[in-house]
Amino acid sequence: MKALAATLLILVAACGQGKAIFNVDVYSFMAGTGKDTIPYAIPPASSASASTFQKVQLPPGFGGSIVDSVRITVGGANLINSGGTGSLGFSFFFATDSAGTLSSPSALDIPATSVSGSNTVPVTISGDLSPAVHGLFSQDTLWMRIVATGTNSGVTPVTGKGALTALVIRVVLQDKIL
Amino acid sequence: MRTGVVALTLAVLALAPVRAAHAQISFDARRLGMGGVSLGRDGNASRYNPAYRAVKNRSGLGTGAPKVTIPIPIGLYSFFRDHPIGQLTHDPAFNPDSAAFNPVELLNLILNPPLFLELRKPPAPTNNVEFTIGKNQLIMNLGQTRVLIPDGSFGMGTSGRLLDLGAGFGAFHVSVMGFVHYDLSFTLDSALRSVLKDTIPVRPDSSYFILTDAVAQTGLTPTISYSARVWHPAALEPAAGGANGAPSADQNADDGVYLGAAAHYYFGATYARGVGPAGFTVGNPIFGASPNVLFDGLVHTSNKPNGHGIGADVGIAWITGPFEVGVGANDIGAQLTWSDTKVQRILYDPNGDSISTTLLANHVESTTKLPISYIANAALRMGTGTTVGGDVFNAGRGTVIHLGAEQRWGLFAARGGVARDQRKKLQFGFGGGLRFGGFGLDVGVWTSSGTLAEQRTMTMATSISVY
Repeated sequence: MKALAATLLILVAACGQGKAIFNVDVYSFMAGTGKDTIPYAIPPASSASASTFQKVQLPPGFGGSIVDSVRITVGGANLINSGGTGSLGFSFFFATDSAGTLSSPSALDIPATSVSGSNTVPVTISGDLSPAVHGLFSQDTLWMRIVATGTNSGVTPVTGKGALTALVIRVVLQDKIL
Repeated sequence: MRTGVVALTLAVLALAPVRAAHAQISFDARRLGMGGVSLGRDGNASRYNPAYRAVKNRSGLGTGAPKVTIPIPIGLYSFFRDHPIGQLTHDPAFNPDSAAFNPVELLNLILNPPLFLELRKPPAPTNNVEFTIGKNQLIMNLGQTRVLIPDGSFGMGTSGRLLDLGAGFGAFHVSVMGFVHYDLSFTLDSALRSVLKDTIPVRPDSSYFILTDAVAQTGLTPTISYSARVWHPAALEPAAGGANGAPSADQNADDGVYLGAAAHYYFGATYARGVGPAGFTVGNPIFGASPNVLFDGLVHTSNKPNGHGIGADVGIAWITGPFEVGVGANDIGAQLTWSDTKVQRILYDPNGDSISTTLLANHVESTTKLPISYIANAALRMGTGTTVGGDVFNAGRGTVIHLGAEQRWGLFAARGGVARDQRKKLQFGFGGGLRFGGFGLDVGVWTSSGTLAEQRTMTMATSISVY
């Protein structure tokens, strides 16, 4: 990673004024590991949540950079509901370590989507992350927690799983490096 | 002994860039205004053609060459206006902690001191660069900056001479000169070039590297040289001359054929050469594990200051009336044999995250060469105040061609020229001058192209000449 980071740094430096843009396909690092799936089971007349954690690696050396924006540009999930009627939404939390994601405010909330019966409902995930977490993306390591929060107003449990299908985070930095 | 020689050669090495730069980047606004051609008999002509050492560089005569040229560093005014000298330590351009700090621009400033006034600065690349990173994906899109990725080798280097301590008797001259040669060359391997230039995705299980080949050598060379006019038209045709054998009006006192030659015995003081790739190797998937550093170089270094070799310079010049032409070459056959060198392999070990050095051979013989430098020049001085000329010059890193002309009307002079630089790009120059008795004020404007820029810059130089 050091060699690659050094190469990227030289390239960014050589390009003079401008912005360094990183499109990080986070989903590609989660796929097949089980972290791309969040099972849920919501008892009747209640709400519940479940989480998955993922470490995100970024090229080092941008510690002094100013983060212009962080946005989920391409994102999606399937709500694979196996029974019950309710709704599920997603929230994204970021912190410097996994424990920090438990206490940090959410950086992006995806409105709840209704599910019912045995059905698969696609959900689009996109949006700008809260400026409060921008500073984290100038570091080479950060943690992301995806929380699926569901509500069940019915009389039967809502069960199923949320499966990520895509997640690309676009980080735009002013090219202050080293 | 060794300490002294090494100290001397280090001094030579340290001063070499100044001399090399001066040899190719003149501070003479007259010359720059003619695209870089020197219509006089100074500069490159006398440096690279030993025959010209026998030709008198007559100040103020037909050659128009001044005794002294004093550059006026007007570029410094502009530089210090933008970067006040009292605030340099806090200047964002030089402060690595500042968002405005750009190491490439700083390097460019060091390599190209702002002595001249930049009329048109090279546009800094302002586009965005974009990297797409996935577990098995890496795409680098450098945007408009891709045009700067060189297709061939790139680098820097020169072969120069310093000092020239000696004495002459008649046509002969015995001296000791310092020599220095360095050449730093980089070549992108085709895979890396495709990734950077054509936005081709990085492939798993592949290596991407820059091949580096760097050599530096320096030392001293005792030299015996000969330069003389071997044929003079007045000597064969006395009737054509004036009274008492003096040249007539249509003859030039410098008319004749000049020959020059020099034999060198090179004493190499120190030498080093490094060759090898530097880059990285990605795994499969690309970001499944950290990419490995790829660094595997062979380094040759001299153990003792004991390089030996011979070489020669030759040159010829013919001057007849308003026309003159010359051809000269330096360091012909200059090959140094270093009888005591060592070869080491410097390898990055990804397992230990360390660099290991292995001695492959010691006290072995190595040979190096000095590049042949050459110049061919011609000039025609017309009777109407017009002088045209040109030269073809190569100091070991590509041929440069200059063509230029000067037109004088009394106190005034207008100049223009065109050049083909080492990157085979056309460059242009124009300028003018005023002469008041023994002094002249000249202005020259010329274009140039930097290594990391496709567009030309335009620069203006001013200088005072003393005739």
